[in-house]
Amino acid sequence: MTHEGLTPGTATDRPGPALPAREVRYSPPIWRQWNLVWNFAQRDLKSKFKGAAIGWAWSLVVPLATLGIYTLVFSIVFRMEPPVMGNGNEGAFVVFLFAGLTAWTFFSSTINAGISGLIGTGALLKKIYFPSYAPVLGAGVAVGVQSLIELSIYLVVLAFLGNVGWTFLLIPVWAALFAVFCAALATTLAILNVYMRDLAHLVAIALQLLFYATPIIYPVTLVPESVRGIPLRALIEWSPISQFVHVFRDITYGLSPGAWSSWLMLVGWTLAALALSSLVYKRRGGDLGEEL
Amino acid sequence: MSAPAIRVEHLSKTFQLHTERRSSLKERVVRGRSKDAGQFRALDDVSFEVARGTTFGLIGHNGSGKSTLLKILAGVYRPTSGSVMVDGRVSALLELGAGFHGELTGRENIYLNGSILGLSRRQIESSIDEIIDFSGIGEFIDSPVKIYSSGMYVRLGFAIAVTLEPEILIVDEIIAVGDEEFQRKCFDYLFKLRNQGTTIVLVTHSLGLAAELCDSAVWLDHGHMKLLGSATEVIDAYLKQVNQREAASSAAEAPEGSDVPVQVRSGSGEAQVLDVELLGPDGEPAPILLTGAPLTVRVHYVVHEPVKEASFALGFVHENGVGIAGTNTRMHAAVRDLEPSTAYLDYTFPELPLLPANWRLSTAIRSHGHTYDYLDKAFPMIVRAPGGEVEAGAVRLSGQWGEPVEVAAAPLRTPAEVASGAPGVTSDDEPSQGVPAR
Repeated sequence: MTHEGLTPGTATDRPGPALPAREVRYSPPIWRQWNLVWNFAQRDLKSKFKGAAIGWAWSLVVPLATLGIYTLVFSIVFRMEPPVMGNGNEGAFVVFLFAGLTAWTFFSSTINAGISGLIGTGALLKKIYFPSYAPVLGAGVAVGVQSLIELSIYLVVLAFLGNVGWTFLLIPVWAALFAVFCAALATTLAILNVYMRDLAHLVAIALQLLFYATPIIYPVTLVPESVRGIPLRALIEWSPISQFVHVFRDITYGLSPGAWSSWLMLVGWTLAALALSSLVYKRRGGDLGEEL
Repeated sequence: MSAPAIRVEHLSKTFQLHTERRSSLKERVVRGRSKDAGQFRALDDVSFEVARGTTFGLIGHNGSGKSTLLKILAGVYRPTSGSVMVDGRVSALLELGAGFHGELTGRENIYLNGSILGLSRRQIESSIDEIIDFSGIGEFIDSPVKIYSSGMYVRLGFAIAVTLEPEILIVDEIIAVGDEEFQRKCFDYLFKLRNQGTTIVLVTHSLGLAAELCDSAVWLDHGHMKLLGSATEVIDAYLKQVNQREAASSAAEAPEGSDVPVQVRSGSGEAQVLDVELLGPDGEPAPILLTGAPLTVRVHYVVHEPVKEASFALGFVHENGVGIAGTNTRMHAAVRDLEPSTAYLDYTFPELPLLPANWRLSTAIRSHGHTYDYLDKAFPMIVRAPGGEVEAGAVRLSGQWGEPVEVAAAPLRTPAEVASGAPGVTSDDEPSQGVPAR
């Protein structure tokens, strides 16, 4: 071994400032990674609709078809009674459902797209270093673009029904909290899924269960207070995703600002999800190049 | 020497070897946490520095840890212990076009790839024309990359990685792609980057290339640093060991006796070559021959029936199938009448002019166009370089270079002018192309 001293001048005899001081991994803070995230989002959006005959329209056809089917089943077959609207008009089940479904679709699609987005980028992560949350968030942004379109249609429908109020101004606040909450959860699950590949299947089952355990296709008042000693309604009401759906309906469908306690809870859940995701990312997110 | 651009200190990397990987939740639940079956130390206490603006080579046989080290330098893996510090943005060329998405156009992929390499949109926009130009993709740049040929794919990948002003470039064996022209372009660009002060770390199995490009190098062997030093020094030492190993293994594999395959033999059979021995400088059979070293080719033969005016011939066939040189005793006015006997005949090189390759030797005993015995490419001759300097071609020429001689203001002509026949005038500060600089 001749490496010591072969390169003239080793650490001891060179002044400090000349030494290389950067880590190999180029990792600016997350808010400066927007360009990368946005490029992943563009990739998802473009590849999804290229080659499709009606392109972008598909992003609307599917959710609207779902909306139509659920409306048919639950409003006509099950005769679900929607609550009264904020402007005092009789409730419309299709609108009530639209609110819940828009929020739910964003939630579940962000998680699913994040998990598959990270696996799909695996080959790349083995070759080049970049933060592993970027493809997950990129997938989330792509989902978000579609959700924004759905949201605008929903708001147009509300305006058409004359159900408009100042509480609409709270939508951006709600949306920001919800986006961070969903993105954090998606990042956590996507990273863990790399280590435990069947997590994706569990998540799929959990999402299905959660869909029915969230007052989307039914008002929460329909749930019995308790079933065999289990406080079922409270459980459903206090789940984070129910809280988000609930507040969203309050400020859009019900035109009420929502309870302070509910907003506080949203902030709490969001911060908790954020803390969880940054913990998982710090501990597990850096070595995906070896695991994928 | 300038300040280092890369500094690797006591770097080690250990991989966990699970006999069965528990990568699913079900398996973890069913069988419990995996007991670590063992660890594999891919890199063990590696330390070196790479000076800014120099080119550094990683050399070693397969499995020596080169790729692991490269991935750590690129940031893909994290070191188990030790540290790697750099002084600029690292751009890694571990696989060209790895980040391309088939449905996106070339242009869209440039943006995606650039952002993965850590560049802002503005930085990408400022060099996108250069990238498109360098890649030579032309009008296809706005077509989805899934329709690209593999060559176009690779060219675009290379163009992105090198054009985006990397401060430190990590290159893995990529020069071997694309056609001749593009390879040349890549080389030229690597040289240009080097002159601009880009630090380059290179892995290659082509030692000639390493000797040509690198200033210094490290030789890795099973994760250990075997030698660190100037590129020629390290390559020489490495080659010496490779040659020794090859000699040892080919000696071990050498078949007993000298059974020449029948199908390569032809001729009427009155006289036959039995075997060819290749004797090195020490007069002993040498399994590996070195370019420039003395060599004796000893042809053993047997004569069954008397043969008139016979000549012996040797043919040297390069591994690419071309017969490079041949010699026979008739050219040297040494035809002989052979009586039944067993004997040998030597052909001696004071300095073997054959360059490194796996040569084949053909032998013949002929007389006036009649072939008594002919063995086509029957004898392997493994020729290797004694050092890292590799000449081009198949044989070493014996010409000599003179000293530069100054000529009083004689007008030199550029190749174009020579071609067009126009008399040329060359300015003093610009030596014309193709003529060695003064």
